Amino acid sequence: MTKKQKDPDIQATNRRDFFKKTAFLSASLIASSSILAPVKITASSLDDAAIMEQAPWGTKLGDLVDKNHYGLPSPYEHNNVRRVHDLLSSGDRYATVSMSPLHQQEGIITPNGLFFNRSHSGTTQVDPHKFRLMIHGLLDKPLVLTLEELKRYPSESRIHFIECPANGSTGWRGPQFDNLQFVKGMMSSAEWTGVPLKVVLKELGLHKEAKWMLAEGSDNSEMARTIPIEKVLDDAMLVWGQNGEPLRAEQGYPVRLLLPGWEGNLNVKWLKRLEFSSKPWHSKEETSKYTMLQKNGKAINYFWPMEVNSIITSPCPEVPWSSLKKGDTVEITGLAWSGRGTIKTVDISLDGGKNWIEASLKGLVLPKSWTRFSYIIKWDAKEKMLLSRAIDDSGHVQPSIDKLIENVGVEGIYHRNPIVGWFVSNKGEVKNAHVRS
Amino acid sequence: MHMFALKKTHVFLILSCMLLASYTSAGTDVKLKKNVDGSVIYPRTNTHYSLYLLNKQNISEFNHGRTPTLNEIKAWNKDVMPDGEGLPVGEGSVEQGDELYSAQCLSCHGDFGAGGSGYPTLTGGQGSLKNQLLQAGDEPPMRTIGSYWPYASTLFWYIQSSMPFNNPKSLSNNETYALVAYLLSVNEIKIDGIELDDEYVLTKEKFLKIKMPNVDGFYPVSPNRSNLKEQRPPLAQGTRCMKNCKTQEIIFIKNEITGFDPKITSKKDLPKIKKQDNDEAIKEIYSQSCAACHSNDALGAPVVGDLEQWSEVIKKGVKQVYTNAIVGINAMPPRGGNMDLSDKDLENLIDYMIKVSK
Repeated sequence: MTKKQKDPDIQATNRRDFFKKTAFLSASLIASSSILAPVKITASSLDDAAIMEQAPWGTKLGDLVDKNHYGLPSPYEHNNVRRVHDLLSSGDRYATVSMSPLHQQEGIITPNGLFFNRSHSGTTQVDPHKFRLMIHGLLDKPLVLTLEELKRYPSESRIHFIECPANGSTGWRGPQFDNLQFVKGMMSSAEWTGVPLKVVLKELGLHKEAKWMLAEGSDNSEMARTIPIEKVLDDAMLVWGQNGEPLRAEQGYPVRLLLPGWEGNLNVKWLKRLEFSSKPWHSKEETSKYTMLQKNGKAINYFWPMEVNSIITSPCPEVPWSSLKKGDTVEITGLAWSGRGTIKTVDISLDGGKNWIEASLKGLVLPKSWTRFSYIIKWDAKEKMLLSRAIDDSGHVQPSIDKLIENVGVEGIYHRNPIVGWFVSNKGEVKNAHVRS
Repeated sequence: MHMFALKKTHVFLILSCMLLASYTSAGTDVKLKKNVDGSVIYPRTNTHYSLYLLNKQNISEFNHGRTPTLNEIKAWNKDVMPDGEGLPVGEGSVEQGDELYSAQCLSCHGDFGAGGSGYPTLTGGQGSLKNQLLQAGDEPPMRTIGSYWPYASTLFWYIQSSMPFNNPKSLSNNETYALVAYLLSVNEIKIDGIELDDEYVLTKEKFLKIKMPNVDGFYPVSPNRSNLKEQRPPLAQGTRCMKNCKTQEIIFIKNEITGFDPKITSKKDLPKIKKQDNDEAIKEIYSQSCAACHSNDALGAPVVGDLEQWSEVIKKGVKQVYTNAIVGINAMPPRGGNMDLSDKDLENLIDYMIKVSK
């Protein structure tokens, strides 16, 4: 129960006492009364109960310090969770994806418990003592490493997003989901710790003919993907750390492959084997699944990097402007990212793409990483169609929906990165809407 | 190549940290090298990778781990490549495959691979790949083993390593041959011009002659990559129009999709205690309000977990036990001394204590 502040009827008797007792009063109240004269203040309808009444958490002991040996979010944040939809599953909740609540994320790091989770046969639990990584094929010195041995290599930490290539596929035929979580939640970001693969390979005598690397998981589905050697020797990593703790099982504990900026499924989890060859493998995931069927009936396979992309995360359907008053100052903020490089520019449109303004980038601007953008407006209580358009340092400019469909048709659910945004009504409600010519 | 002019802030960044300037891509004129995927290659020096600092000691010999034995490599190297590398010896007939399929695959993939229960359809769709589902009623393209998969090697490898879904790595080489034979036959794929009837026996030799209908259905990736130019350009390049751009029509959601799990809400409230959490909640109250006396017999209270003592208690009838808890009995004060506990709480607590004592 909340308790009223003691002495609601404040009668200051001397100056010292007055300051002590009015410390919680607003500046305007103090300004309107004579500071030097004794004053009696009576309860007012302007008084905020959250200030005037004793907060229950201020009058009793909190939880025991060791209540949770692994800390949990505030119970008030219990709705800040990943969500699933049966439309996105293959008939069960083993081979499916849970969407990350981007609307409640801050900065450029996803908390580990909210990292989107895509698996092809459930989250497997690998015994770290029985973990082995085998590296073989076209190299002089094949290698087997235990987890302990792998972690003896000097570690490096990098902030990178991981995105499923199907992210955004839920909307490009037309808007479908009226929330940010299912429009763009098939991605998350973390600081990953591990060792660059080229550091490990340096002393293994990789053959010149080794043009492809197979990465294979140890899970039920034995997720296998072929990676070109150019990526392996650029920025590929074997990672065991995620945001300062061991990888979550959902992210491939104890070791996953990290291919910065590339399709999520290539970042093979529960890693078991790396084999080098002169030929690509054509695994099931790179022939039957992660391919892009084009209008002419031919498909692109081995499609690797995630395109330049952006999304406004505030406002969004889950974070509307309905509580704003006309004239309030409000920030439009969101995420921009590219698997091809570093975000260079983000433009914002308030009128559905007729006119654009360059937004500010803020915080760390890193390669193949989420980048925050910001643009501040005064809310005029008028309808808006908000859009964002990102450009990266590889020169890739985010295309319109029309342009993307013109180029690749509507089939092929992957790599959909067109400009999308939100319609804001004059009441500040936010709806998913597309702009088409 | 840079499309946009150097900005003042970036000039400042370059002047104030000369060392980093050559690694910051934004706003500098450093010529960017690109990888096969079209992405920028950020140089890695002895001290930096992009904006990240590195250990400068330049040690590259670690000698961690050991050489795997040949048996170990053989045990894990189970992949099969399009040219047959890795394909084991074995044989299986269409008929045997049919039996295996009915027993282990049909429940998910349907009769003759026709699909169902949300799992992939394995047959049909040949000739459908140019279809575009533009509006309701259009026939979509169907990507099945027969219409889409370019190589049979993938089929063998995937079935043996990952199927059946709930019991993978359980099929022998011969069983896998049989299943491949069955799946090719229901897709009406011929080997060397020969139809695969029930008696057809697939062997390694015959397998190497399989040509899948859609083998040429993919854009090639140059295997030697003699041309290191971007092999995967962006699917679509946008334009950076800033003023009076083409006007657009706003399209709203026509049929909104619901059914998210859990329901979409951003409410910041306390979670409701779900039914299945009730036991947990009761356990929590028990440990706070009852366990001090009821967890050992020092105070004469019936000990939770002691069937004999609780049998004696229950003899009075459970209603009487509830009442005793409310008004107090022997050394136990009313409501065990915790006046915040409702009658219902006490009943739940007693039920819990009886349950765990059984």
